[in-house]
Amino acid sequence: MAKGPGVTTDPYAALGLTKSATADEIKKAHRKLVRTSHPDLHPDDKGAEERFKAISAAYDLLKDPDTRARFDAGEIDAQGAERPQRQYYRDFADAPDERYQQGRGFGAGIDPSDLFAEILRNRARAPGRDDFGGGGYAAGGADARYTLDVPFLDAVRGAETRITLPDGQTLAVKIPQGTEDGQTLRLRGKGAPGYGGGPAGDALVTIMVHEHPVFRRVGDDILLTLPITFDEAIMGGKVTVPTIDGPVGLTIPAGASSGRVLRLRGRGVARAGQKTKGDQNVDLKVVVPKEADASLRDFLTEWRKTHAFDPRADLMKGAAT
Amino acid sequence: MTDLFSEDEVISTVTRLTRNRLVRFVEVDLVRPQRADSGTVYRRIDIARIELLCDLSDDLDLDEAALGIVISLIDQLHAARQDLTIMASAIDALPPDIRERIGVGMKQT
Repeated sequence: MAKGPGVTTDPYAALGLTKSATADEIKKAHRKLVRTSHPDLHPDDKGAEERFKAISAAYDLLKDPDTRARFDAGEIDAQGAERPQRQYYRDFADAPDERYQQGRGFGAGIDPSDLFAEILRNRARAPGRDDFGGGGYAAGGADARYTLDVPFLDAVRGAETRITLPDGQTLAVKIPQGTEDGQTLRLRGKGAPGYGGGPAGDALVTIMVHEHPVFRRVGDDILLTLPITFDEAIMGGKVTVPTIDGPVGLTIPAGASSGRVLRLRGRGVARAGQKTKGDQNVDLKVVVPKEADASLRDFLTEWRKTHAFDPRADLMKGAAT
Repeated sequence: MTDLFSEDEVISTVTRLTRNRLVRFVEVDLVRPQRADSGTVYRRIDIARIELLCDLSDDLDLDEAALGIVISLIDQLHAARQDLTIMASAIDALPPDIRERIGVGMKQT
């Protein structure tokens, strides 16, 4: 591994500690140094990056008791913990056309002659600034939190619904496709109004997804238990299976036992921003009639006499008792 | 600097990042990737921002609310500094007598 600057020093010294430091002391010292040395928290500090690298490398080595013990025993040296190169967020602070930027800025598209008038107008409007903290005492409104019970299929397929608020108003909520139980949706500006012209808070809607009597969700896959008859199990056949998007045909191969899982590719959950849909896994379960008729009974009595099929042979051997 | 990265590439670049965590960052709007034909794509700035978010939550134990506050303050700081730089360079390009008058004006405020 290449030797980098600042990583060959004593990791204890880098954190301002001695070898006798406890794990807790290491954690605390590291946290304090991150606060004072993280380049993104100190954009003007030219030395921050070097310090932060040394701190991180030292902490990587010492946070894990095993690695620390090996270092103490001299088995590994300090450069083993070197981190890969990275770019810091502050490196992008000057990038124009930045979607994370707050405040309108006057980089582009603003008539320079309006510039100072704009700044002065903003200051004069206090309290009422709503962008970066200039003059006034504007503050954004609080976020409002709601929970919303959603039927299984609505969460999986996406839906639009309304919440009725305590004050009688309603709030339209768009549930994205593939929403998971416990997920929180943020509705911008639908929370409490802001103060002094500040922006309204957001509504945070936590989604509670109901269970479905038939479908179960595992990640982006749907699991369904499908009862089949024993003749379908032995000879195979075509059956109709419900999926979250409606019934589809499924061919059961001959000789399918209970517990065999058939996959319906792409019949699972689609999620916004994801290319592939999940699958539906169909778990077969052979169900026999409660009362077998006489002809079947006769046939099986004969069959049993002439066929020796023991599905438990391996089981008995495996148990070895 | 316009390279784009897929979700998988981002997760393998930022070692502390799990898929769940990334999905969560996007969900609560801490990270804003672009939509492309091939799915969600991330830029270098998104990766740097994700690194910072991981530092803040892992090293400084910030929870999601605090994370939102800190990153928003950093964004505002960047915007303000950018404005300041633009203004300073505009003033710097002015004739000396006007610069002097601006200097006098600034001392009076």
